[in-house]
Amino acid sequence: MSVAAEVIIHTEHLSRRFGSLVAVRDVSLDIRRGEIFGILGPNGAGKSTTIRMLCGILDPSGGTGTVVGFDITREAESIKERIGYMTQRFSLYEDLTVAENLEFYAGIYGVAFSRRRARVSEVLELTGLTDRRGQLAGTLSGGWKQRLALACATIHEPPLLFLDEPTAGVDPVSRREFWERIHDISARGTTAVMTTHYMDEAERCHRLAFIFSGSLLDVGTPDEIVERRELRVAELEVDRALEAAELLGRHPDVEEVAHYGHILRVATRHGVDPIGLSAGVFAGTNVSVRSARETRATVEDAFVAMVRADG
Amino acid sequence: MKLRTLVIASKELRQLRRDPLTLAMMVALPVLQLLLFGYAINTDVRHIPMLVDDHDRSAVSRDLVRRMEATGFYDLAGDVQGYDEIDRALRSGVARVVLVLPARFGADVEAGRTAQVQLVVDGSDPQIVGSAQNTAASLVATRSAQIRVDHLTRVGGHLAPEPIELAPDVLYNPDQRTAVYIVPGLIGVLLTMTMVMLTAMALARERERGTLEQLIVSPVRPVELVVGKILPYVAIGYAQMTLILAFGHFVFDVPIRGSFGLLYLLAFLFIAANLAVGLFFSTLAKTQQQAMQMSFFFLLPNILLSGFMFPFEAMPHPAQWLSQALPLTHFLRIVRGIVLKRSNFDDLHVELVWLTGILVALVVVSSLRFRKKLI
Repeated sequence: MSVAAEVIIHTEHLSRRFGSLVAVRDVSLDIRRGEIFGILGPNGAGKSTTIRMLCGILDPSGGTGTVVGFDITREAESIKERIGYMTQRFSLYEDLTVAENLEFYAGIYGVAFSRRRARVSEVLELTGLTDRRGQLAGTLSGGWKQRLALACATIHEPPLLFLDEPTAGVDPVSRREFWERIHDISARGTTAVMTTHYMDEAERCHRLAFIFSGSLLDVGTPDEIVERRELRVAELEVDRALEAAELLGRHPDVEEVAHYGHILRVATRHGVDPIGLSAGVFAGTNVSVRSARETRATVEDAFVAMVRADG
Repeated sequence: MKLRTLVIASKELRQLRRDPLTLAMMVALPVLQLLLFGYAINTDVRHIPMLVDDHDRSAVSRDLVRRMEATGFYDLAGDVQGYDEIDRALRSGVARVVLVLPARFGADVEAGRTAQVQLVVDGSDPQIVGSAQNTAASLVATRSAQIRVDHLTRVGGHLAPEPIELAPDVLYNPDQRTAVYIVPGLIGVLLTMTMVMLTAMALARERERGTLEQLIVSPVRPVELVVGKILPYVAIGYAQMTLILAFGHFVFDVPIRGSFGLLYLLAFLFIAANLAVGLFFSTLAKTQQQAMQMSFFFLLPNILLSGFMFPFEAMPHPAQWLSQALPLTHFLRIVRGIVLKRSNFDDLHVELVWLTGILVALVVVSSLRFRKKLI
């Protein structure tokens, strides 16, 4: 029973139609407390629609779901009080100061008036925004806006945080710092559910879900997801890269070939050895391999393979 | 939950404080409009430039011209001769009116025959035509009567008293000053303009910047959001109304005869109705610019059809029906009634019913639309 208590989001056959378009179909998910859970998928795959249903602002057309213990259709208001929500647009009031933005969201989320001031100071301290508390939010740089947006979304200490492409358009240093904070928050028991297009970020999630054309293709840790694709990847240094890529691409066991200058990245299906396969393919041609080494398949490889298989 | 409304209202006030342009507009606009309407726009037509084409050049003809000038209505701008010159003068705008006195004018008058005088009027401005004709006609009628009396006295007869005499008594605005009529109406026009525009833009801004989405995901309920956002604007509406009333009273001598309490009470319905219109526009507009355009588009029929510029009674029936649907039409009757005519609650209850009906319809439509648009 303790396992059930650990589940913070639970959905069964969740679906949503817009007219004749099925945006989300039959999504059944369990997300555990304290997890950093990534939702991956191409644009228009149904990621945002799924998140909006989980936030209680969009009714499902079919299926059921509970979030932080409340039904997403009947108890949406109770859900809203217990979640934080942040989008890539960093929905801040640009003509209010850093502190005023925090105070506003503290008021909206019903942080008790007596605690509001202390909580705002605490969050300012935590995010390093104390020195900028009087600055207008509109004058902050992208990275600082992102920090403030996260601070606003967590001002009421929600047990569950939804992040919709939170790092889009932010510089790499800010992105790294942002992830450190997400891991801090998660270590203290907060669950973070996020969508992203960055594959390096996907690797940092505890678990991932792949959504494509509204359907859930796979759920698991990054390693599990990669392993299930049974992909093996090799990097080859060749002298006629274009020709070599074309030859490999015709082989039925080759999932994908990408070339960067003289380097080819070859992914093979069904656990076939990519180096041996390449040697066979190149035999009798004028392509020669200068060096070859096998490397770990990444989430990106798995992502491309899944989209291709389903598309 | 009442607290959340206050949180939103105070946020809105803070944002307003940081937006000096909007704030200045809300104060400057009423004052500017008031000065424009009070001083520049005057429907009492006076000092119309007049030319005289006097073919008679007698004492009698000169006397008539002098009397015309003495009304203060015509300014003698010189003499002309012949229709070509008259035509040129009217086309160039040197004169609006030309008085043509034929050669035998004086002789005819002396002899007791009917003498002809011609008044040529520039018809491009209907307001001038009306005033010029009326003033000249009444002047000529008075002068004719006088000449008749003189004749009769000279031949030893005596005149029977006028069979009918009209004793006009213009109430409420006996001097017929435009400002007295315009200032109360201006309250309605300005409130329509600022209330609709500010509400529409305030919500469009949240949508444009993405903060509306953030609020929808929060526990804020639509009613808290809407009330919180428009509360500060209600206060601004009352401030504008007070400003115009005070300015109109002290600068333009507009009397305030009726009950302040009743006026402010009924004004609430009107302000609320306009805020609901603004709310409705905000659900249609995707950007602040669209919201602004819609507000201006709405303002035009209000100014033209409400009775602010042209009398309601003079409009064709379809225009009157349309006019009845505008909150401003009813508020104008209320504000003019209370300020100028000391109307009381009983006098205005029909307008009250209309305004309430319009308000309820608007609130229903815009909150349905607002709720739908939120998701």
